Amino acid sequence: MTSTSPPPVAARPKRIFPKTTGLTALWRHRQSLTVLVRRDLAVKYQATVMGYLWSLIEPLGLAFIYWFIFGVLYDRGGLPAEVEYPLYIVSGIFAWQWMSSAMTEATTSLTSQASLITTMRVPREVFPVARVFARFAEFLAGIPILLAFVYFFDGQIGWHTFNLFFAVAMHFMILTGLSFILASINVLFRDVQRFMRLVMRVLFYGMPIIYPLEKVVGPDSPLDSWVQTAYQVNPFVGIMQLYRSAWIPQIVPSTFQILVSVGFCVFLLFFGRWLFYKLEPAVLKEI
Amino acid sequence: MYEEPIIEAHNLGVRFAVGRKRKAKLREMFIHRGKERSSGGQEFWPLRNLSFSVQPGEAVGVIGSNGTGKSTLLRLIAGVLLPDEGTVLRRGRVAPLIALSAGFSGDLTGRENVHLVASLHGMSRQQLKAKFDEIVAFAEVEDHIDTPVRHYSSGMKVRLGFSVISQLEHPILLVDEALAVGDKRFKQKCYKVMRALLDEGRTLVLVSHSERDLTRFCTRGLYLNRGELQVDGTVDEALAAYQQVEDQKVPV
Repeated sequence: MTSTSPPPVAARPKRIFPKTTGLTALWRHRQSLTVLVRRDLAVKYQATVMGYLWSLIEPLGLAFIYWFIFGVLYDRGGLPAEVEYPLYIVSGIFAWQWMSSAMTEATTSLTSQASLITTMRVPREVFPVARVFARFAEFLAGIPILLAFVYFFDGQIGWHTFNLFFAVAMHFMILTGLSFILASINVLFRDVQRFMRLVMRVLFYGMPIIYPLEKVVGPDSPLDSWVQTAYQVNPFVGIMQLYRSAWIPQIVPSTFQILVSVGFCVFLLFFGRWLFYKLEPAVLKEI
Repeated sequence: MYEEPIIEAHNLGVRFAVGRKRKAKLREMFIHRGKERSSGGQEFWPLRNLSFSVQPGEAVGVIGSNGTGKSTLLRLIAGVLLPDEGTVLRRGRVAPLIALSAGFSGDLTGRENVHLVASLHGMSRQQLKAKFDEIVAFAEVEDHIDTPVRHYSSGMKVRLGFSVISQLEHPILLVDEALAVGDKRFKQKCYKVMRALLDEGRTLVLVSHSERDLTRFCTRGLYLNRGELQVDGTVDEALAAYQQVEDQKVPV
């Protein structure tokens, strides 16, 4: 070692957990985020004739099936008389579509983009978050359709419509948190991505999307009260009710459901970010 | 010569778990964080106790036989791997060409990949617009720019990767073996570009097995052996040490 040996430097802290949960880093790298989101959307619809229409056809197709089964064959799924099943299912299914595709795709967001992650220094957080944003863009594309259903199936617009913004904000928080958790753990244990199909299936039937909440919770429910409580501990129950309440004022999420949802949203966002930070060195080695 | 170093590594070390040890590691990560466990276990340090610093404008060659941690070191400097021990500090952004790839994904076309990679490296849209044709022309892939990269030959990929990376304005350039793949004519072009970049005052860290490439650019050499920095001196000293160790090995 000659003149180039390093001058003594005070020990630096290794890595500091960003107290802003890395949101400032995301903001600084918003260009990367936009690039990834745009790339995501472009790739998904490349070589398809109908392009972006697919993001509408899929949820509408599902909505049609559920309308046929529950709206027609099964006595409107037990909805109160003044609520139309088509509006009920469509207002839920678009939110569900966002959440299910965001969670599924965020899970593989690191593993499938290993070539980028191992060669360039972009904050790794942008990869799962970009998936949540890209699928949110599809959700936005569905809003006009949703409004058409509101118009034709007796939806009501008023102050309660602002609940949509709260629902979206909460959904964003919880999905971002979950995407951090799923993406990082999936690098270490690829079992996660196999497991996701089942998890999504359970979640789908475990929240009021195709049936009304009253079937599970309330005086008419055949279930024990502890099962009813357990059901409502699912944070997505409150969020889904909030989405519905934007157009259907008869649906009002209970304080308990809202508190559970808010609690989970805040907790998962911070815990997810923390876990991601903790696992990052291992993730970069394994990927 | 007491400028602040542009790259500073202090006591750098990185550890890989061997085999099925990984799950235990996960648990350990949460329970005893930071505590060095003395129970031997199955672990392997591709690099350890590395300290060095690089001044702005220096050209450093990293030398060593296969599996001695050269690429790991480059990944640590690039920040795409995080050290388990010590720190590495960069005072400037890094333009890395690691593992023969600039991070291209096979299902995207050359054009899309150039856009993606360049923008992720912080190139603005205007800059990219201005430089796109030059990037493509330099890589000589004009006819295939709208073909998915998975149909590219390895030479084409490296050419396009080098072309993008060399257009970045970042002060630190990391190049890993890339020059070994291109054909002779392309190498000559790369030499010219690298020389020009060095003359601009960029800092270069080059990993190579080619003595010619190393002596052509590098003033300084780091010789790595079994994850340790054995020589930090001129490129000739590092090459001599490398040669000496290689000669002692059992002849093929």
